[in-house]
Amino acid sequence: MSELEINKHNLSLYLMVFLLSLFILVLEGSFLSVFFKSAKMPDFLLVMLVCLAFIWGEQTGIVLGLLTGLLQDLFFGPALGFFALAKMVVAYLVGLTAREVYKDQLAGPMLIVFMATFVHEFIIFFLRLLFWGHGGDFFYFLDVLFLRKAAYHLLLAMLFYPLLYRAGRRGFFHVFQKQ
Amino acid sequence: MEQTTRRFFVFLTLIVLLLAAIFFTGDYRSRYTFAEDLLLIGLSPVQGFFSQLGWRIYRFTQAVRDHNALVEENKALREELAARDNLRYQLMELQKENYRLRQMLNFKERVSYELLPAQVIARDPSQWFETITINRGYADGVERNMAVVTSEGLVGNVTKLARNSAQVLLLTDSRRAVSAMVQRTREPGAVGIVEGYPEAKGSLRMVNIPPEARLQVGDTVISAGIGGIFPKGLIIGHIVETGSDQYGLLQQAIIRPAVDFNRLEEVFVVLQLPYEE
Repeated sequence: MSELEINKHNLSLYLMVFLLSLFILVLEGSFLSVFFKSAKMPDFLLVMLVCLAFIWGEQTGIVLGLLTGLLQDLFFGPALGFFALAKMVVAYLVGLTAREVYKDQLAGPMLIVFMATFVHEFIIFFLRLLFWGHGGDFFYFLDVLFLRKAAYHLLLAMLFYPLLYRAGRRGFFHVFQKQ
Repeated sequence: MEQTTRRFFVFLTLIVLLLAAIFFTGDYRSRYTFAEDLLLIGLSPVQGFFSQLGWRIYRFTQAVRDHNALVEENKALREELAARDNLRYQLMELQKENYRLRQMLNFKERVSYELLPAQVIARDPSQWFETITINRGYADGVERNMAVVTSEGLVGNVTKLARNSAQVLLLTDSRRAVSAMVQRTREPGAVGIVEGYPEAKGSLRMVNIPPEARLQVGDTVISAGIGGIFPKGLIIGHIVETGSDQYGLLQQAIIRPAVDFNRLEEVFVVLQLPYEE
């Protein structure tokens, strides 16, 4: 595949992820928030991002992390770049580890989603502490947010990863690419 | 190898740029950029639609599940409404009396909040920040730091503005602090600070209360009106626990908010604070 084809392919992927992220953010913030109390709301955007970064690798992961994170900042972020930073770092790290793990087996991505949730939440905890000086009680967050959220996400990955993996193989993310 | 190193440097550069972006946009910007604003203008109605859809489904499922409870609740609410009507008339009488007394003392008075009704169209789904989005923006006259209330009490204040939407920082967010006092005593020297208490989700904590202040469980905590953002006298919540702070020098109290922050559907923006001369 030539470099031009890769770029065209990636642009189509980025556009699809942009639209999916918009849909997820509107759904999470405006629809699901009515039913879930905030402490029990899974981060569907993070699960999707980790699955995609795992499939496409660290270079695409960085762009997808920036894209999804900046969108989240636009909707709900306390500052521009806050979620973008957390999500970009997570996607980069997931992309790096993806080289060593089989992509067509579910156990690997599930474990990675679990660990990525920890890293993501820890980065947010650290950024809150750095910029606002009050991270809160770390052990409270470790229990309530990190562990429980990671467990939710592990279960969600069982559903999301096969869907996204198959969608990727069947060209779902190439629909905007001219043949 | 060289490509991996290059990617790593790009990655590091992006981290630095994003840290700078957080630093410069964190507390200083009150409005979105033009591009962000444009996107939000298009998305606000979509958010409003999904929010309304969610509430309709929620109400329907609740109604099906709680039919009998609803009949009972309806009866109780009617009785409460009648009692409140009675209370309202008493309040009107007191207001009139207050006005007359002030007139006698030559006070010029204007005690009316200018309120703008708004609909909650989104809520931050991450557990780290407590913000909501309302369907009113700078085109409606909303400005940064304006207070947001409901009939139950204080909700928060506006932090960021788009043309037809705004982000509201809730009282339960740990970045928020409001001066407050106990309604029962109204001791001028017993003003404390109410802040979000993330360790007990949905609760508030009142800190820096002088040791001589008389606090009781069940006391109503109201805004003290210091700082010019929040009107004085709005209910914040009720004390559920009292104790000393970690150094044992000052008192602190855990507060159950008067407003149910998980069920916010409609709010009011305080466009203008009342003032007295």
